[in-house]
Amino acid sequence: MVCKRASTSSLGYVYRALIYLQSKQYLTLHTIDDVHPTDIFSLAPTKTAILSASGSSSIHIHSTTAQDFPLQQTIPGAHKLGIHHLVTNNEGNKAASSGFEGEAKIWGVNQDSGEWGELGSLKGEYKGTEIWAIALSADGSYLASTSIDGKISVWDLNAEGMPKIREYETKGSYGMSVDLSADGRFTASGHESGSIYIFDNDSGRMSHSLASLIKPVRAVSFSPASKLLAAAGDARVIALYDVLSGEQVANLSGHGAWILSLDWSDTGEYLLSGSYDSKAKIWSVDTRSCVATHSHGDKPLWAAKWLPKTTRSEMFALGGGSKAISFYREAAG
Amino acid sequence: MSSSPLHDMLFGFPSSQEFLDEEWEYGSEEDDTDMLDCQAPDDTTSPWILQSSPKLYPSDDELLLTNSIGQSVATNETKDKSSASGQTTRNHDGVIDRIESILTDVVDALIEDRDQLSITLRTRSGTSGRKFDAANGIVPTASAFKTRKITFPGNTPQEAWRFTVLVRILEFVHSALIENVIITKRDIYYRHPDLFVKQSVVDRYVDDLACTLGVPRASLHVTAAAKGLVAGNFSIRRLDGTIVNGLSDREGLLVPKLMDDDVLNLSEVKWILIIEKEATFRSVLSSLHWPDIGSFGLVLTAKGYPDLASRTFLRRVVGTSPHIPLCGLVDYDPDGIAIMSTYKHGSYALAHENVTIGGTSTGERPLNLPQLRWLGVKSDQIHQNRDMDCGTCKDTNIGTQASMKLTARDRKKARQMLSWQIFAEQGPESEWRHELQLMLMLNVKAEIQILEERPGGTSGWLKEQLGEVGSQHGFEMNNKSVSPATGVSWL
Repeated sequence: MVCKRASTSSLGYVYRALIYLQSKQYLTLHTIDDVHPTDIFSLAPTKTAILSASGSSSIHIHSTTAQDFPLQQTIPGAHKLGIHHLVTNNEGNKAASSGFEGEAKIWGVNQDSGEWGELGSLKGEYKGTEIWAIALSADGSYLASTSIDGKISVWDLNAEGMPKIREYETKGSYGMSVDLSADGRFTASGHESGSIYIFDNDSGRMSHSLASLIKPVRAVSFSPASKLLAAAGDARVIALYDVLSGEQVANLSGHGAWILSLDWSDTGEYLLSGSYDSKAKIWSVDTRSCVATHSHGDKPLWAAKWLPKTTRSEMFALGGGSKAISFYREAAG
Repeated sequence: MSSSPLHDMLFGFPSSQEFLDEEWEYGSEEDDTDMLDCQAPDDTTSPWILQSSPKLYPSDDELLLTNSIGQSVATNETKDKSSASGQTTRNHDGVIDRIESILTDVVDALIEDRDQLSITLRTRSGTSGRKFDAANGIVPTASAFKTRKITFPGNTPQEAWRFTVLVRILEFVHSALIENVIITKRDIYYRHPDLFVKQSVVDRYVDDLACTLGVPRASLHVTAAAKGLVAGNFSIRRLDGTIVNGLSDREGLLVPKLMDDDVLNLSEVKWILIIEKEATFRSVLSSLHWPDIGSFGLVLTAKGYPDLASRTFLRRVVGTSPHIPLCGLVDYDPDGIAIMSTYKHGSYALAHENVTIGGTSTGERPLNLPQLRWLGVKSDQIHQNRDMDCGTCKDTNIGTQASMKLTARDRKKARQMLSWQIFAEQGPESEWRHELQLMLMLNVKAEIQILEERPGGTSGWLKEQLGEVGSQHGFEMNNKSVSPATGVSWL
């Protein structure tokens, strides 16, 4: 299928054609309007549904398998002051959310009813350790969190009482982003100062302090094979680092505004990024180039997530200040 | 009565630096609370009043009694204008009686050689338990009091100190009431700075005392020195024939104290603008646009969190002409929004004043300003700056130099504010909630000065914005002319 937007000049056609050669086409599949009464701050997909969180207190769960993406469940009052982070595990049966009050909650799917319910909650033990960013390990057994004082914690969600099992000290700069590698070995954190760290969860030590982005790092994300770490933020570039060596291997530039979110496709071939100026970009990791750009209204794009690969073609979802969730799929052929 | 020279002395006093430091800031208020409460046992759950301690809370019957006495007193004292607005004098004798009974009790205890002297205070508790009254758009005190017994010699040196401070303040207040003069909180502090250590201690105990006695602070004959500045095309005609003109001083006037008989002329005022910062207030007044702006409006700054004098003045202005649009220009940070909230919904720290001033019986409303509109600075205005800059300035995303990251205190404050009832999900200020959340998400704040980066600067921007406000107002006026009654009714 062809892009419907007409180009105004013939030069534009030539240019478009050239881009077409190396670009991928994604089509808007569906948009759910007014999912939340205020900015959608986070999206977390499972194989059959997408969970969304916003400045309101509830989590909404929409089916992604039915034609019109119907609302399946609402969890009211999940975090009274609003929710800023929401993540799921690979299996799609566990989720975690963190709210403006500084706590994290763990959610699980009831095997009989298929409904989500609360499993427990986590919070910092004293002032300044309120939880901000969170990440779940692929199997959902561990949760990593950041706090305003720069400490990075790892919690064991399967153990009784969900204890904190690791606490990593950094230089005290506010931890804005965090991720756990799929194999559970590494924790990465991005900080207000621009610092990015990788910690080894086995040894409990910092394994690398990566080349700083100088400006706030709003997203860090491990590739599915845990070989690469992508980091981005106000520097408007996406930096790729080799996890084992700690070397920076690439810089992807093209965003014109702060980058707010990063997500790897299941195969690790593509990176999806969302920015403050409501642009989503898809990057080929092989060629280190941007292969598609989409606009999602004119408000900040807080969340851009691939949906787990099913039999259907590749899909992703965008959500942000527009309060809507839009689904895109790769154009066939 | 020699009241007006007194007032000139109190309120016409040139603003000196020491007054600027004065008054309650939310942040320091909390810190003080921590400091003062650190030694105090948690007595919120046990509001005991021992027999040896004087009874400080009037029961309902006593309140009635006080009121009826108060009214008869008021007729005797109609000439007495030295306290706030007439009705605040009604408790005059009742207050003196109660203070005397506290002091007498202390003296009795001394004579009887009791082991401990004690005074029980009803203090304003933390803001957590305070409820926001959605119907009236204000923060009342309701059940948010806690009691605290202050004993001498007490278990710790702090307790003995607290007792001394309290007795000393009672003494000052008592003499002010007896001599029928008004003193400022600053006065009290300077009469014994070694004892009080800092101004906020006096502020706190005076307010607690007012809270305990269930009267507005003005009834104790204690006021804050006026710290607000006001300017614009308005005038006040005093009973003695003097006229205060809001445009007379290019530097602005100290917020005047309005007597009941003063006539406020607001016929030229198309809008009222509250500015958080004195610096911005001054830059607007000294700008080339001021003759243009000033001739259509009234500008006021209370230099941060508003004092009661500024709030009372605004309340009176709005009471005189409820149809005039009221706008606020504050920093884009948690304090800016909290300041706006104090103007609009009343103070969390001084919630007892919100309900006691004016009282319900007199028909006057408390000090909140429900019609206050947020003019700026908001997140999208910072972003407009960005859009303008995009062509030339590739370096930043939001604003330029004037945007800053939030400090740990800012984040804490924003988080606390989100838990206030005003900011609740279904609460009255969903826009504020949203902006606070955005601040936390982006970790960005900006000062009013960010508007200076626009062509025309802050005052150019204001002229544009207020022009719109004024014309909307004109439109509303046309509509309202159909039913003039709505123009004067309370909003």
